Amino acid sequence: MTAPIPRRGPRGPAPRWARLGAQYLIVVLAAAVVNFALPRLAPGDPVDYLAPPESGPVDPAWRQAVLERFDLDGSWPRQFASYLGNLIRGDLGISVIDGRPVAEVVAGRLGWSLLLVGTAVAASTLAGVALGFAAGWRRGSRRDVGILTGVLAVDALPAFFVGLMLLMVFSVRLGWFPVYGAVAPDDLTGWAWMADVGQRLALPAITLTLVGVASVFVVARSAMISELGEDYVFMARAKGLSDRSVRGHARRNAMIPVSTAALLGFSTLVGAATVVETVFSYPGLGSLAFAAVRARDYPVLQAVFLLLSLVAVLANLAADLLYPLFDPRVRRPGAR
Amino acid sequence: MIAPTSWWAALRPSTRALAAAGAVMLALVIGAAVFADLLAAHPPDRASGAPYERPSADHPLGTDDLGRDLWAQLVFGARVSLLVGLVAATAATAAGTAAALVAGWRGGWVDAAIMRAVDLTLSLPFLVLVLVLATYFGRGLEVLIVLIAGVLWSRPARLLRSQVLKIRELGHVVAAEAMGAGPVRILVVHILRRLAPLLSSQFVRAAAVAVIVQSGVAFLGLGDPGRVSWGSTLYFANNGSAILTDAWLWWVVPPGAALTVLIVGLAFVGFAAEEVADPQLVSHGWQRPVRRRLPKEPPEPCPPGVALDVRGLSVDFDGTPAVREADLRIGRGRLLGLVGESGSGKSTLGLAVIGLVPRPGRIRCEALMMGETDLRRLGRAGLQRVRGREVAIVPQAAMSALDPTMTVLSQVAEAAALGAAPDPAGAAADMLARVGIPEGRHRAFPHELSGGQRQRAVMAMAVVNRPGLLIADEPTTGLDVVTQQAVLDLLDDLRADLGLDVWLISHDLPLVASRADDLAVMGSGRIVESGPTATVLSRPRHPHTKKLLTAFGGLEAPMPDPQPAQGEPETGPGEEAR
Repeated sequence: MTAPIPRRGPRGPAPRWARLGAQYLIVVLAAAVVNFALPRLAPGDPVDYLAPPESGPVDPAWRQAVLERFDLDGSWPRQFASYLGNLIRGDLGISVIDGRPVAEVVAGRLGWSLLLVGTAVAASTLAGVALGFAAGWRRGSRRDVGILTGVLAVDALPAFFVGLMLLMVFSVRLGWFPVYGAVAPDDLTGWAWMADVGQRLALPAITLTLVGVASVFVVARSAMISELGEDYVFMARAKGLSDRSVRGHARRNAMIPVSTAALLGFSTLVGAATVVETVFSYPGLGSLAFAAVRARDYPVLQAVFLLLSLVAVLANLAADLLYPLFDPRVRRPGAR
Repeated sequence: MIAPTSWWAALRPSTRALAAAGAVMLALVIGAAVFADLLAAHPPDRASGAPYERPSADHPLGTDDLGRDLWAQLVFGARVSLLVGLVAATAATAAGTAAALVAGWRGGWVDAAIMRAVDLTLSLPFLVLVLVLATYFGRGLEVLIVLIAGVLWSRPARLLRSQVLKIRELGHVVAAEAMGAGPVRILVVHILRRLAPLLSSQFVRAAAVAVIVQSGVAFLGLGDPGRVSWGSTLYFANNGSAILTDAWLWWVVPPGAALTVLIVGLAFVGFAAEEVADPQLVSHGWQRPVRRRLPKEPPEPCPPGVALDVRGLSVDFDGTPAVREADLRIGRGRLLGLVGESGSGKSTLGLAVIGLVPRPGRIRCEALMMGETDLRRLGRAGLQRVRGREVAIVPQAAMSALDPTMTVLSQVAEAAALGAAPDPAGAAADMLARVGIPEGRHRAFPHELSGGQRQRAVMAMAVVNRPGLLIADEPTTGLDVVTQQAVLDLLDDLRADLGLDVWLISHDLPLVASRADDLAVMGSGRIVESGPTATVLSRPRHPHTKKLLTAFGGLEAPMPDPQPAQGEPETGPGEEAR
């Protein structure tokens, strides 16, 4: 059947996955470096953050103990080496707030964050793609302008404002949803537990979906518009296909840029989740970051930042790996 | 096309409405910021009444938990948001532009390093990054603005760099460089000026993001403690449990609505700016189909021996005529060649027959008869049934007329499924084999085929339902000479095999003359001459025909047995070996 297509050069380019892997490793490393460097670059002594100078003089012995405990007493390269070593071993230090290992604190929150952000990414992608394709199909029509105006307006609503209003209407006034938390304190099991989790997830997920829908919509709409201008769409019409089938062609091609945009939105939503989780007291990484900032719990803050960066990087990686599914030109690079 | 006289005229009416609405919203916020001292009777940041007061004449929106006037917080809050938006967006856009110019101009490792930094900044979660940075660098508003700009520059940088690369390749920029213009002059005069519209839309976007981030940070209670902003009002409202009481109406809604108005205003204005930046976005929008009244009496059917009869067909684009009063007849079993220079309207005439003139084209005509059928009376659905089944077209640039995400076999089968064939996939495979695509390549994607093969696949797609008439629009353009002849031979074969009438449109008079039974010549939208090929070539009556003939040279003499231009090699499978 199809003959294997020779690669371009004699040695050929490095495989796609290897290049991608190297690129993402660099991003993760950079996030780790930022984490390492920030407390050391910031004005003031790290100890000042733990015991603000305005609250009185610090005992020199205690100061030394703190520096040793947080590994701040050696030279920078040595500190960095031990920081990296700890990181690889999964040792993220001890939380200042409650003295538990940071890794443990963070792990308890990660699942809820992934549930919330994952739901929001999926929902905003579905809604954004449906609306974007519907609007782009007949650009400038009343339907297009209506959808566009609506989406831009929803996008402009600050996430915390939407969250507060939803909370007020549906939880406080109507009492449909619990006011806070991700799961009831009492021991529910099985379906009751699932129902409770879903109920508590609904409002934060809706809020976060509204935050994310516009970026997918904009890409989907403009991809649809530009695909409709392509020659193959004209040919699809000329061979007698119905509008429905023509739209199918345009959609399949427009999904290529949309799939990338949808997963890139992951990192935006991870950030926005900080605010949303705080409004709904949802026990994810975002509200943990917020609590850590307020309590000056630096080990936790660093771990959260690193983990969120990692989540964003993995989403990017997923986008890159999904790309060939939509585009045969990447999946089967030809002779051209 | 009418040349836009100003950016406002360049906008479509619906966008104009958006832009106007956005401008009004921005004006509201700017007005509040400028006249805050006049509008508010109390200071925003000191108690001027009892805590939790309800709205009154003195405190139009009541007071917060510390007795501060909420109305004053609302109007003074506009200042903070505008300041953040303006300064952060200016800094971010300037830094992003500088990075894009340097990266796009220098290229090489400089470009690679800058773009990696951009990717890195973009892939880290934005709000969390700002929060982390703010924790270490302090909570002042000025610090926050610097931090926001420091993260935000990456977005315009990425977009603008690709534009810099594009502009650099433009003819006049290359020419200026060749003439020895210095890099600064080129960057400023040629590139920056062209980037201006795009810069403005990026600026507006950056401003919106900056406002959102500042309000988010303030809402979390991590903003500048010394400044009252809309976000901080909401922070106190949230802590004061305003949503549990009636107070949400004057404590939560006004700052939230104010933020929304500002951001929506920026979004609308930015959207309009984007359309100015990309004129492509303005053209060919969808238009409502026009209903026309046709005379009750159907026109006379085609005379015997005529397959298609076009009488008095005109097409205009926004008032600019492309085809004027064209008459054209295609005889049964004949090959009609329609020649004319580019822009003469010949392609438009072909598209008009099957109702596929691009927007905003308007077709008017006296009669458009195919046998007994009046194509004008078919309506949308009827025309759809005619396309591909009775009249097929091989469009201009047919090589890009294949969907890149589907195999050629499934694309031809999709067309075959519209016809009578009981087994579309089988019919498609047969037709592909017939046009000369070996079976091993049927499941190839378009990018895996050569230009000539793609041209053949499109022809297979066009004729798979055995239409009566095939319109081939410049089927040989962009192919090498050998492949051109092969494609024309294929056209002849198909014509003989399937009994097609063919309408061949081309600018290449010798090529058309070598194959056509009849010839029609088009110039500035009119058919200036038509008749049997030999007659037209030997006794051209219209000056335009004469001009076309002399342009190609050596064709004035009668051509009883037209040969392809000088000694073409035998057509063969040469095109396959790319």
